[in-house]
Amino acid sequence: MFGPVVIISASTMAGLGFLFAGLLGFAHSRLKLEENPEVKEIEDILPGLDCGACGYPGCHQLAKNVVSGDAPPDSCVPGGEEVAEQIADVLGLEISSEPGRVRIAVVHCGADNEEKKRIGDYEGVKSCRTAELTTGGNLKCEYGCLGYGDCARACPFDAIEMVDGLPRIDPDACTACGECVETCPRDIIVIEELDLKGDFVKVACNSEDEASAVREKCEVGCIACGLCVQVGPSEVYSVEDNLSRMDYSEYGEDADFDTAIEKCPTDCIVRFPSPGEASETE
Amino acid sequence: MEYFFIFVAIVLTQNFVLHYFLGICPFLGVSDEMEGAFGMGIATTFVMTLTAIITWNINTFILEAFNVEFLEYVTFILVIASLVQLVEMFLRKYLPELYETLGIYLPLITTNCAVLGLALFMVLREYNFLESAIFGFGAGIGFTLALVIMAGIRGELSEEDIPKPFRGTAITLLVAGLLALAFMGFSGLVPS
Repeated sequence: MFGPVVIISASTMAGLGFLFAGLLGFAHSRLKLEENPEVKEIEDILPGLDCGACGYPGCHQLAKNVVSGDAPPDSCVPGGEEVAEQIADVLGLEISSEPGRVRIAVVHCGADNEEKKRIGDYEGVKSCRTAELTTGGNLKCEYGCLGYGDCARACPFDAIEMVDGLPRIDPDACTACGECVETCPRDIIVIEELDLKGDFVKVACNSEDEASAVREKCEVGCIACGLCVQVGPSEVYSVEDNLSRMDYSEYGEDADFDTAIEKCPTDCIVRFPSPGEASETE
Repeated sequence: MEYFFIFVAIVLTQNFVLHYFLGICPFLGVSDEMEGAFGMGIATTFVMTLTAIITWNINTFILEAFNVEFLEYVTFILVIASLVQLVEMFLRKYLPELYETLGIYLPLITTNCAVLGLALFMVLREYNFLESAIFGFGAGIGFTLALVIMAGIRGELSEEDIPKPFRGTAITLLVAGLLALAFMGFSGLVPS
């Protein structure tokens, strides 16, 4: 039924296949990797997102470092307490501190679609990165949010929603992985560490322009008047490069921000939702 | 002398990457760091040399002997895939850091067209055993050379203020083009 060519071909291939399979099998038995079973176990517990929020290149690397003791068991940001407890269980460790502070992405621009002043129409690809690279966007302000939502698309946790041309960060979903920070061509988003019990307040501006320029370009931009530094809490605010910045490491749970929010002449000091708060109000 | 010419030709004048455009994907993918580039080069050189030696034997003593040369693609791919597996196991065991650096590009040697191209060129040019071995080794060295030069240039570039639209892939491809142009200067080095 089969010609000799078919038989020769089939047997040649089969022979070679078995030969190499045998060689590889032999090599495998000699070069077998003895991995700590705990690493595998912890890797299974980890979410497997490879987001890098822990500071390691991926979940496998984190698992290795947790086992070797170089990383604490609560390193996994998206996994949260649940994962931390499971990991601690596997390793027989206790999780020490109560999480009092939270890392979250903070958007430093407050101009929504109505408040944005534009110099023309932008008809290109609806992407912040493209707009910034090609025409520099159509905003008067060179620091402001372009509003095409690159950050929202980059977010692996769907924590960012574009509302009125500004990214709104869902504090419960945000894991501070930093993808949006990487993506934003204007470096408007910054990862900050805030006190969970304190107020969630930010300076919603990123402009280093001088006051007159800011006034011309935006209604809600920081003009670096320094009122916030005066009314305080003074250790939190500082004005540098024509911009007021907040040092979150300096504020405690009882700091009072109401005066500064009220006094700010351009209303660019604003509150934003903290974890838990957002779901409460709904 | 013949052997020497084969070696020089495949390293410089007919470099797989810069003359034949074979194996471009690791050339662009792993050339951002010197260490990874060199490791990739050595791994590929190892695979290429062994591929040349093994495929020559298989081609001569099995395929040609039994008149089934049409099986060359299948068998060559089988040889290459097995060798890559071997290299992968070895690196994972003894050089785990290099293994992590190479990542996906290590298994991609399997489908690296430079390796299969090497085996097919060998048959096409009717090299004898020693010529094949030198050709395979030289191809690997040429590949390593291209990768290392590229990694060096990209290392320097990362410090430079590149115009925004050129950053990333664009400047890498431009550099690759200029490098290929520079390697044109070697042509004529070897009598063809």
